[in-house]
Amino acid sequence: MKVVIAGFGTVGQGIAEVIGMRQELFSKSFRQKVRIVGAFDSSTFVKDAKGLDPGELVARKAATGGVGAKSQEGKIREFIEEYDFDTLIETTPTNILDAEPGYTYIMAALNAGKNVVTSNKGPLALKFRELSRAAERNKVQLRYEASVGGAMPVINLSRELLRGEHIYSLRGILNGTCNFILNRMKDEGLPFDQALREAQEMGIAERDPSYDIDGVDSACKLAILANAIFNMDVTYHDILRTGIRSITEDAIALAAEQKKVVRLIGEINDKRLEVSPRMVPMGHPLAIGGTLNIVQLITDLAGEITVVGRGAGRRETASALLSDLLAILSDDHAKGR
Amino acid sequence: MKVNVNLRLKDIPGQLVGALEPISANDGNIRGVVHHHDDRLGGRIAVNVTFEVRNEQALDRIMEVWKKREVDIAKIDAFFDTYPIQYLIVGNIPTKELESLTKALESMENVASIEVRYTGSANSSSRAALVTGKASRKEAITSLDEFFKKRAEKRDYILIRGLDQ
Repeated sequence: MKVVIAGFGTVGQGIAEVIGMRQELFSKSFRQKVRIVGAFDSSTFVKDAKGLDPGELVARKAATGGVGAKSQEGKIREFIEEYDFDTLIETTPTNILDAEPGYTYIMAALNAGKNVVTSNKGPLALKFRELSRAAERNKVQLRYEASVGGAMPVINLSRELLRGEHIYSLRGILNGTCNFILNRMKDEGLPFDQALREAQEMGIAERDPSYDIDGVDSACKLAILANAIFNMDVTYHDILRTGIRSITEDAIALAAEQKKVVRLIGEINDKRLEVSPRMVPMGHPLAIGGTLNIVQLITDLAGEITVVGRGAGRRETASALLSDLLAILSDDHAKGR
Repeated sequence: MKVNVNLRLKDIPGQLVGALEPISANDGNIRGVVHHHDDRLGGRIAVNVTFEVRNEQALDRIMEVWKKREVDIAKIDAFFDTYPIQYLIVGNIPTKELESLTKALESMENVASIEVRYTGSANSSSRAALVTGKASRKEAITSLDEFFKKRAEKRDYILIRGLDQ
């Protein structure tokens, strides 16, 4: 399989490394190698039909800040359409305003008959149906396990292993940063601002934390889950959203008196499509601490299913991208391609 | 509310129908009827009936009919199904608003009990208030959700609901 990596930040580098690490698995299971034949970031570009060395790509990025030579503006789309490869691994940063540049890259690849594996929430949270229809029309796969909850395998679990179930509802914690802040407020009695500063110093929260603490990130993920698992046709804008910015230590303490913790919960059921802070009984699976992500599904046959995992990180997200690559390889293998 | 009652009925045709009819007539939901044919006392057969009724008034009306129809009540147990009420609001909440909120909640239908606890002084720009209690019907929780949602939007509070609300 020939792959091109779009976006060579933390996630792009992570999947390049993992592809390098798993060549034996690809050879043993599918009698083929996965070759990185191209990679680009926001300003540089490299290609080699014979295959690029993942270690060299990552080392070059670290040394020069780029992955190759300066790319020509506006030529990336043409490159995706015309270059000979099988799967685009799209890892450009999430843009919730217009989904670009990820949307253009994904659409170009799908329309050119190439599979897409992505970790990018923006295009999926804004234009899920459009992209799914393009994949169907072109008889290629669009896979996006890495877009929700990093290494927590909730999408493929629901769509593949739980295919026979009727899934009634879902609720979960989809943002590790908020969970860390709320947990620190409760454990140490910290005011919100101080817990946020601590998270920023530890690299858990961004310098501009609004995307996390205003519930935007969770709402994007919930929109993707609503579309992927519940077959809805919604965007990020359809999610009722309340963040954690105004939660005080007093509120956390009052909840604790009732043996409850406050958590930012995403919920999908027949009445709600919502991200909001909720009071969760201590000891309940959703009262989980740290930066972990967790999702609970309620199904008709299996009952309650809970999945927990690391929601972010270089290797963790690469693990989810790898699972999608393997699914495409398995499918191709089964079809004798 | 759920009611479990041991009745003693005369051993003549039509007695059971006569005992069950007032339950249905008062919108009750009969969940189980067990005859104890071996348990006879003074020519009467013991029958155990489990049913649900809307409230105590409905149960009183049923019992009145039983009395008129000479249905003996050997034992009766009534259980109230309750649903927890759990809301936490955060924001600039003046004391007057807390009083008004408590009054509004107490006057709501099917709210069996309510307690409002709060932190922060009246002058503080941010205060947290925890509303807990019990509702006697599930529908009350839906009404409360709507009530708190509207109130939070109107007065710019952050609303934190219980997990199962």
